[in-house]
Amino acid sequence: MPIFDQGYQHWKGHLSGHAWRWLAVTRHGVRIGMQGRVFRAVLLVSLLPAVCLATALCLWGLAERKSDLVTTIVQFLVSAQILSPGVVDDPRHYRLEIWTLCYNFFLSVELTLSMILIVLVGPNLISQDLRFNALPLYLSRPLRRIDYLAGKLGVIAAFLGLSIIVPCLLTYALGLMFSLDFSIVTDTYRLLLASVAYGVVIILSAGMLILALSSLSRNSRYVALFWLSIWIVSNIVSGVLETTQQVQRRNAHFRQVHLAQQTQAGLSREERRRRMDALRAEQEAQMAEFETQQLEASKSDWRPLVSYTANLSRIGRQLLGTDACWEKLSEVQPSPMRKRFVAQWSGPRYPWYWSAGVLAGLFGLSACILSLSVRSLDRLR
Amino acid sequence: MLFQFEGVTKTYGSVVALDNLSVTAPAGAIGLLGPNGSGKTTMIRSLLGLTRVDRGSGQVLGMDFKHRQLDIRRAVGFVPEDECLFPHVVGVEFVTYAGELVGMSTKDAMQRSHEVLDYVGLGEARYRKVESYSTGMKQRLKLASAIVHDPQLLILDEPTNGMDPRGREDLLELARDLVHNKGMSLLFSSHLLPDVESVCEEIIVLGKGKLLTEGNIQQLKQLHNRSFEVRLKADARPFAERLSALGCGAQMRDDSLLVQIPEGRTQQLLWEVAAQERVQIRNLRPQRSTLEEVFLKALEQA
Amino acid sequence: MTRIPDTRPIVDFHEVSKWYGNVIGINKLTLRVPAGVTGLLGPNGAGKSTFLQLATGQLYPSQGRVRVLGQSVWNNSSINRQIGLCPEQDAFYEWMTGWDFVYTSARLAGLSRSAARDATERTIESVGMTQHQGRAVRGYSKGMRQRTKLAQAFVHDPRVLFLDEPLTGTDPVARHDLMTIIQRLGNEGKSVLVSSHVLHEVQSLTPNIILLNHGRLVAEGNVRDIRDLIDKHPHHIVLICDEYRRLAGRILEWDDVEGVRVLAREKGLMVETHKPDAFYSRLPTLSLEDGMAIKEVYSDDDSLESVFKYLVNK
Repeated sequence: MPIFDQGYQHWKGHLSGHAWRWLAVTRHGVRIGMQGRVFRAVLLVSLLPAVCLATALCLWGLAERKSDLVTTIVQFLVSAQILSPGVVDDPRHYRLEIWTLCYNFFLSVELTLSMILIVLVGPNLISQDLRFNALPLYLSRPLRRIDYLAGKLGVIAAFLGLSIIVPCLLTYALGLMFSLDFSIVTDTYRLLLASVAYGVVIILSAGMLILALSSLSRNSRYVALFWLSIWIVSNIVSGVLETTQQVQRRNAHFRQVHLAQQTQAGLSREERRRRMDALRAEQEAQMAEFETQQLEASKSDWRPLVSYTANLSRIGRQLLGTDACWEKLSEVQPSPMRKRFVAQWSGPRYPWYWSAGVLAGLFGLSACILSLSVRSLDRLR
Repeated sequence: MLFQFEGVTKTYGSVVALDNLSVTAPAGAIGLLGPNGSGKTTMIRSLLGLTRVDRGSGQVLGMDFKHRQLDIRRAVGFVPEDECLFPHVVGVEFVTYAGELVGMSTKDAMQRSHEVLDYVGLGEARYRKVESYSTGMKQRLKLASAIVHDPQLLILDEPTNGMDPRGREDLLELARDLVHNKGMSLLFSSHLLPDVESVCEEIIVLGKGKLLTEGNIQQLKQLHNRSFEVRLKADARPFAERLSALGCGAQMRDDSLLVQIPEGRTQQLLWEVAAQERVQIRNLRPQRSTLEEVFLKALEQA
Repeated sequence: MTRIPDTRPIVDFHEVSKWYGNVIGINKLTLRVPAGVTGLLGPNGAGKSTFLQLATGQLYPSQGRVRVLGQSVWNNSSINRQIGLCPEQDAFYEWMTGWDFVYTSARLAGLSRSAARDATERTIESVGMTQHQGRAVRGYSKGMRQRTKLAQAFVHDPRVLFLDEPLTGTDPVARHDLMTIIQRLGNEGKSVLVSSHVLHEVQSLTPNIILLNHGRLVAEGNVRDIRDLIDKHPHHIVLICDEYRRLAGRILEWDDVEGVRVLAREKGLMVETHKPDAFYSRLPTLSLEDGMAIKEVYSDDDSLESVFKYLVNK
């Protein structure tokens, strides 16, 4: 027939199976998320720490091979007291520790950037669907609620995966290439797995939390505010609690020192100087003692649990084993300084399963909120 | 057979939405009528498997709606009544996404999306954000997203609500074309009876969760054999008096006349009187009950 | 339907224009709405809502003068006692019960407490909401909300009523009841202006219409008179007859018939003519001719739908 029907045509194509239906939701969400200019800029910025990490690992790899290229840089780092000479002399011994600390620093920066990424793209995920009443359109298609929610979580996973997990893997490969020493893999493969696991924990915890918040309101601005309050305000509150406690303990501890200074009058200059030296030495010792006490006390301190990001960091440190690394690095320090060194650099030492409990609790709460807010249409209008 | 319900009951707390409903619907265009609270929405939701029924069973296009809900939704397109949108996309992306959610590949969905957008008449507007669409355009968009996967059954829930006459006309024309020329079955739920009449051949009337009546529209609208509706150009009263004198029944109704011709005579009697009285008969039709009358009678009988 | 012989215009627009910035809402509209029920029609964006807002004093015309019942409506709160408005928007005080809502409207209109109570009971009864009057409005269905909105519009027995899409969302039962109420209000001598998109409803309510398009007045008056005046579109009249082909031959002999189409399935003809009057006057004698018994005659063309289509789509 020379003239073709311009009207409605039937379609006999192939409909895919059910397993990948959530992927359509994720793709759609990613496409919409990338529409924002600010978001794209922040995404780009979040890839920068990966570059720094890669540089650090490459430098270390070269330093291990005692390459001339890096001698100047290494000397500079030693003189700036960032690297201690003991470490530089025997780099291979401290390889795992340095890699761990580099990854730890990278992941802590990425944690903050992830929070920012989530506040830009997270609130819109479900709240806009509620505002424009898209749920009947979704649920009248062969899509279960779980597909919908998994798809939305996938959006967060896509963006955070891009900024956390993919750099972890790529920089690991890069560091491997620059060291040309495959024994690294046996030393540090656990680090790779741990960092990926940490990334997954962040994605699941933060993703579920922002989805739950997003499903509570039709106005994405309120959701963004709520998220910021969970992140920033909880940090502040936790910090305030910790600081007040620290100041209290410090006052209690140093009260004794004060009393010793009273009896100064009526002594010769020689004796005064000796007394002052003794006093100063005592002060130093007491300071060191205080800090170690602080470290011991932090093992049972609940105050950091208030801050959401502190919980995530604690899990991260546990997975990566950073505290053990600091202990090992302190061996390079002169003996009296060791404890202080560890106390200064490692974080609060409370049990990791407390943080895990808090995060699991939040996860469960988010799941409950989601199943209640994203209701199926089985209700009387 | 389009769908079948057998003894279906659904209650929400103390409210009985569907009460032991048993109905069989043939393929084709079916109108779903009923006052508010009669269970129409619940019935549509149970067809789609969005609501679990307390008792009874049923099938849609041969598939059990208790166990094969996802398969049913693949073969059914639904245009909801309320304002619904996937936000922040343009028209084409909207329909493509709708297709992807049913399981089409992105390429198929994109190609098909343009095809159906041509069909519903959204030309260049498909490249604009959907939030900027007027009501009529949004309805067409929803229709396009419902037929993108070529369903066997299309469910329209109050599709012409709030549309201006032109838009309404276009939408009903599309519905008629899909049913009569393209072989799609249609379930049309609406309060506007003339719309239902212009598209559907069969109707199902629900009331308080029960089936009140069902059947072919033309058969339900009875023909009154000897009764005619007459409208004249001028005042009908003298005409009516002449007819009564000749033994016909004549009642005024609004601005027309209901005339009952006695046995043995035909409409020619009216023409005779008209010629004698020199009046113009502008309208002469056998009296048929309107769909509204059928509906109201069905409600009264319940 | 009896017409009250009061020909004084209730709503009087004289060369009224209204624009919002650059966008024109109403363009030099001169119009007089008489007593009785009148339909206000027009496609989207025609200016119907602007018209209603100008008539109820919510907007001030950029040009021209608006008068209702002989008085200016702008800044004239006393006239509101005589005006009732049922707006299109679905906005209520959701926590109030239906009874409270209508009672408050009555009191706000100036009725005394006892008068308001009686009026509220009467009005709620007439819209059929007595059963639900004790429930809060937030629990009402769309049809119940419409009925309550209509109730508050005429609880204070105004002389002029403006109803904007009063029947949307109502089921056929409610529709039937509300149309009866509106007709009754028109018969009582009130002036009721009903704006609607649903043409067949307006058609059953009244033959008098006002048609707006692009902010201008396109037509006003009785639908049939308007139809007669539309010269461009010939009238289409259907004749059903057993011997339809012979009838066609006879009809084609007449000068004023422009075309005849055969409707084989219905056994009839569709005749096109520009002079319907002459055509109809010849029908009775034609029918009485041998074998030409005309069984049915009707014209779909006379309907509001066709008039609307012709006038708006040109």
